[in-house]
Amino acid sequence: MIIMFVCSLIGTESISLKAVFSAVEKRTTVNPDYEIFVRVRLPRIILAAIVGAALASSGLVFQALLRNPLADPYILGISSGAGLGAIIAVLSGFNWTLWGRSPIAVFAFAGALGTIWLVWFISRLTGKFHTTGLLLAGVVVNAFFSAVIMFLTSVAKSQQVYATIFWLMGNMTEEDFFVLWIGAGCVLAGILALFNISPQLNVLSFGEEDARNIGINPARTRTIAFAIAAFITAIAVSLSGLIGFVGLIVPHGVRLVFGPDHRQLFPLSAIVGAIFLVVADTVARTVVAPAQMPVGVVTAIVGGPFFLVLLVKYSKRVSWLK
Amino acid sequence: MSGIIELENLSFGYTPKSLVLEDISFEVKPGTFLAIVGPNGAGKSTLLNLLCRRLVPKSGSIRIDAAAIESFGPEALAAKIAVVRQGLTPIFGFSVIETVLMARTPYYNQIGFENKADRQIVNEALMATDTAQFASRPLGSLSGGEQQRVFIARALAQETSILLLDEPTSFLDLKHQVDIYDLLKAAQLEKGKTIVAVTHDINLAAQYCDEVLLLEGTTSCPGTPESQNAIRANSKYHIGKTQDVFSQKQIEKVFGVRVFTGKVGQERFLIPLGKFAKDSTQINSNPDSQPRK
Repeated sequence: MIIMFVCSLIGTESISLKAVFSAVEKRTTVNPDYEIFVRVRLPRIILAAIVGAALASSGLVFQALLRNPLADPYILGISSGAGLGAIIAVLSGFNWTLWGRSPIAVFAFAGALGTIWLVWFISRLTGKFHTTGLLLAGVVVNAFFSAVIMFLTSVAKSQQVYATIFWLMGNMTEEDFFVLWIGAGCVLAGILALFNISPQLNVLSFGEEDARNIGINPARTRTIAFAIAAFITAIAVSLSGLIGFVGLIVPHGVRLVFGPDHRQLFPLSAIVGAIFLVVADTVARTVVAPAQMPVGVVTAIVGGPFFLVLLVKYSKRVSWLK
Repeated sequence: MSGIIELENLSFGYTPKSLVLEDISFEVKPGTFLAIVGPNGAGKSTLLNLLCRRLVPKSGSIRIDAAAIESFGPEALAAKIAVVRQGLTPIFGFSVIETVLMARTPYYNQIGFENKADRQIVNEALMATDTAQFASRPLGSLSGGEQQRVFIARALAQETSILLLDEPTSFLDLKHQVDIYDLLKAAQLEKGKTIVAVTHDINLAAQYCDEVLLLEGTTSCPGTPESQNAIRANSKYHIGKTQDVFSQKQIEKVFGVRVFTGKVGQERFLIPLGKFAKDSTQINSNPDSQPRK
């Protein structure tokens, strides 16, 4: 899996940046191409891969847990929580850094995790785990925080608003390898843990009672899956802002092609998600060069039609679309 | 031999004030096919849910193979009892074989995959239920009767000594009803399973089951003072050999409907008679005195 991961990175890179790739081979001399490659491009590609894998995997979890094909990593309010954290950080005017991260990222991370905890907590107050209760709690919290964000935006100075919006649109400029490796480690560990409970997630797709009859502890499985998915989504959001669409269409696309078994879906989604976002990011920074597009624009513009092709091609094979 | 279910003074109610089941005690011996019948709301499904620990009794106890049901962990209980419920719909298109394999989930290895023995068990279950022919098709593409057979296959693949079923033949046509009961009977006779099935079909129950638990439920007659007494506990139940419990009198009393009893060879049949039944007054409803041709 790791090998495929690395291969995919190099493959994508060699296609879009041939000149730089050839420069890497002659390492003996210091050359600017190499510097650009190692210090700018490589971290960015690693970042895109981490974020893509994290979003695709957590999207898969939310779809399985909520038994809802429309679910994505942001459905329970992580996005607005992160946004709220980001705008609070901007308005507070902090200028310290933590491990090279700006306070925006730190606050967004905290906001994302705090929100998902709040939604989980509210749904637990209803007594029993109900997907409908969880979804409604998520939607309402999302709407509430969005309103708060709008209020804060309306009272903020335009420069502060711009900084927040730019950050939220998704920015793929992470240069510190230390942070990258920590992020990569956490996300990889999370995906492995999810893979570990994937047989239980398969059973849970028939519902909680049924899972219990087969000998699965549904509450435990759900809590673990939920916590991991929320955690890796929060990492992704704090590293790169909000990138839509990856967490929705990658798990779907992979499921359409390879079937519903989560034991296959976790590794495949992670790999496909990583490749997809690396490609999307490459497109985002080359198409309108020297300017850059937000990568979310590319994921939707490129990913949307591609997904529709998959949908039409494979829809005859899958019963859950009928 | 395992597969013993014992109930002692079992009571249960959904609200603190009213009881659905009151003071029920009985024992199901290993390898028995027991039907639970009774009017709507009599507590049939409630009792089944108590037996699989979906619900916890208000008082009294349930013992599985002489151990209290609370003493089992989730996996240990799933190794004793398999359940087939109504109306399970998977949301993502799992195939038949993937669905049946899920029964083996607690026995998967460290990295979450089945071994050869699991595959063998699943194949046997598919053969026994005649579902091997569509093993790779998505579950959602099968008919209701075929899906029901797949869920029974999955329950068989759990390799339990006890099998609980909630109305396994509702919504199925005559042939599929008989098919389901045939394969349940085969599981009972060949594997020695204890089978408990909630059903509305008293004739199939009479044909296939060894014993019957008849729950009386609340007999509400509109207008009588009794029915104004809101929900009263129904403590009455009858358990015993099928032919003893299913007497015409008993069925008429419990279900509040006139029935015609007929007999073909050893099999006795009960047919409900409505107001508009033709010649209902002429039908001899006592088969023992004058058998009908």
